[in-house]
Amino acid sequence: MSQDKIDILQRALKREKAARKQAESILEQKSAELYESNQKLEAAYSDLESTYSQTDSQLQGVFEHIVDAYVVADVEGNILKMNASAVSLLGLKSIKDDCNLMELVRPDQYQDVFNAFNLVYKEGGSVSNLVVNITTKDQRDLIVQINASVIYDNGLPIASHGIVRDITQAKYEKEKLIKSEERLATLIQNLEEGILLEDENRKIILVNNKFCEFFGLQVPNELIGKDCKTVIEQIKLSFKDSKKFIDDINIAFNEKKPVLNEDLETVDGRIFERDYIPIFRDGIYKGHLWKYNDFTIRRQYRKSLEVERYKYSSIISNMNLGLIEIDLNDNILMANKSFSEITGYLEEELIGKRGIDLMTFGENRELIEEKVAERKKGKIDSYEVPIKRKDGEVRYLLVSGAPNYNLQGETIGSIGVIFDITEIKNLKFQKEKLLKKLEKSNDELYEYAHVVSHDLKSPLRSINALVSWLKEDNKDNLDAVSLQNIAHIETTLEKMEQLITDVLEYSSIGSDDGEKEEVNLNILVNDLIGILHKPSHINIKVLNTLPCINGNRIKLQQLFQNLMSNAIKFIDKENGLVEIDVKAQDDYYQFSVKDNGIGIDKKFHDKIFKIFLSLNKRKDSTGIGLSIVKKIVEMHEGEIWLDSEPTKGTTFYFTLKKL
Amino acid sequence: MMSKVLNVLLIEDDVIEVMKLNRAIASLQLKHNIIEANNGEEALDVLQNKGELPDIILLDLNMPKLNGIEFLGILKNDDVLKYIPTIILTTSSNQRDLLECYKIGIAGYVLKPLKYEEYITKIENILAYWSINELKQI
Repeated sequence: MSQDKIDILQRALKREKAARKQAESILEQKSAELYESNQKLEAAYSDLESTYSQTDSQLQGVFEHIVDAYVVADVEGNILKMNASAVSLLGLKSIKDDCNLMELVRPDQYQDVFNAFNLVYKEGGSVSNLVVNITTKDQRDLIVQINASVIYDNGLPIASHGIVRDITQAKYEKEKLIKSEERLATLIQNLEEGILLEDENRKIILVNNKFCEFFGLQVPNELIGKDCKTVIEQIKLSFKDSKKFIDDINIAFNEKKPVLNEDLETVDGRIFERDYIPIFRDGIYKGHLWKYNDFTIRRQYRKSLEVERYKYSSIISNMNLGLIEIDLNDNILMANKSFSEITGYLEEELIGKRGIDLMTFGENRELIEEKVAERKKGKIDSYEVPIKRKDGEVRYLLVSGAPNYNLQGETIGSIGVIFDITEIKNLKFQKEKLLKKLEKSNDELYEYAHVVSHDLKSPLRSINALVSWLKEDNKDNLDAVSLQNIAHIETTLEKMEQLITDVLEYSSIGSDDGEKEEVNLNILVNDLIGILHKPSHINIKVLNTLPCINGNRIKLQQLFQNLMSNAIKFIDKENGLVEIDVKAQDDYYQFSVKDNGIGIDKKFHDKIFKIFLSLNKRKDSTGIGLSIVKKIVEMHEGEIWLDSEPTKGTTFYFTLKKL
Repeated sequence: MMSKVLNVLLIEDDVIEVMKLNRAIASLQLKHNIIEANNGEEALDVLQNKGELPDIILLDLNMPKLNGIEFLGILKNDDVLKYIPTIILTTSSNQRDLLECYKIGIAGYVLKPLKYEEYITKIENILAYWSINELKQI
């Protein structure tokens, strides 16, 4: 063995040793690394496990506390799991409650729901937004929306889980919205105005019946979506000025500003008012609305109103009555021609002035001021007032005034109608003067008649006294003839006395100021029958109850007395009969006094009522009695006439006004 | 029965009327004194002498100058004379005169009748009535 060999062996051994050592240290290092990795892995796993379980419980919490109903159900539809929302939605008692979802579905939708889930179970995927009508366990009808997906176990579907949302209210709201939209559409369709709505591209969005009717177009539905320009072209011929019609449309369309109350006249005489209203949404032009309003009838009203106004204003300016309008400060706002003529002032001299300042005088001013003040309070009144014309002449006016109101009902002044009553007033003055004069002369006549009667009667008394003295003083010297003559003188004196009395009575009838009163003629006449001197062969009868009359008692008594005593006086029959009767007529009573006396020849019927005409020369007849009767009847607004046949009798008729 | 003798002032312008009264009193055999005055003024003169005032006055209305009503007015305004009863004796049946007289104050209004016999009766009654009346002592 050589050293060399030994050396070689030794070196080789040495290298082997070193290599083994190195390998051992690498192994050791790797083993440590492995351990470390293993440790890390373990940690990671446990981390993962905890994360998983955490997520799972979190998810479960989400479902349980979710607002919407969350349900897990098996393939038959039996609920396996659900949250609190689901319990209350489905009307269950608790989350432990048993329930088959399919039993809640409205029977007519059962098949649809079944099919929808069946498809998902077979082919996978999910049920989304399925709308189902259900009846809950506590008998509420709901509309629900279902979103669900399938749960698999080893590739087999074992259940499904999902969200059930109550959309009943939303559904209802939507229906309401649709209805109100429909209503709005109906409203627009039936509006009295023609409506045309275009979008920004001038396509028709909406057009109503009236619009089509106005311009003879086809039904609205056929126009929707069409280009508005073609419609415009079609209807422009309806208008009198079709070029202007188109121009105006284009201007409005270009400017996109509202144009209101444009007047348009059609060829057939209709008048339209057109509104153009552009529509903007969020500042962006979205189209526009045309509105056509048929004003034909209203225009005609307006026109006839103007005609009426013209008519009345011409009546006002030409009528005979003065008319003025004054404001609250009594300034004249308007005066018509007649007022100018009445007052002598020109219209321009009157406007803005106070009539009170111009024309009143003296105490009349106060009267007018008082009346004007009353009128401001709303009093309607008429009064007479004298005024001074511009030329100083005094005229009498009848002023009828009423407050003038504006449309709001506030007093803004008054309107006065003025009638010149100067002539009437003068006539009235004249009449009053005449009446006074008449009264005075009547009075004078009355006095005169009394004086005359006194003066005439006095000598009669003297003659009578003297004659009696003659008779008395010459008692023994007078022969029979003289005594007879003296008796004749006395009779003549009596007749003359009666004549004077009657004339006085006749002349006093009209002037005697006896008061009128209600007179019961039945009592009056029956009393008279008792008082009257009548021979026993004459009978007086009242055939009917006599009425009450408004009149002068004394005169009425005289009336009946004269007629009755006349009747008695002229009865020549053995059995005399006087009948008094009455017949009611419209406004009058017709009385009659009938006798069976000597009668009166027809030719005397008119003369009989004339004064001093006595047909029979009698001691007791002066011929005034019937004149007095006639005068009394006329004083009571009645008439008198007679009916008579000579030798048979006479009936006097007369009327007296009813009460 | 004792009756007074009256002093009667007759105011009357008609001579025959005066005669009528005098003759009536004579024929009635009455003792009354008749004082005559032909009109109102004369009557006032008579009445000036207030020592011998009449008991009653018979007054005609229609007289010239101062007429009956005017005279009556003066009489009734006099504090002394107003107490003399004044009877109107007239032919006037004028109601206005009658009313006016009663208004001023009279003791009677007698119409002169046409017949003298009736006149005598009326005068007899008037005088008989006043002769039994108590009158104011002047």
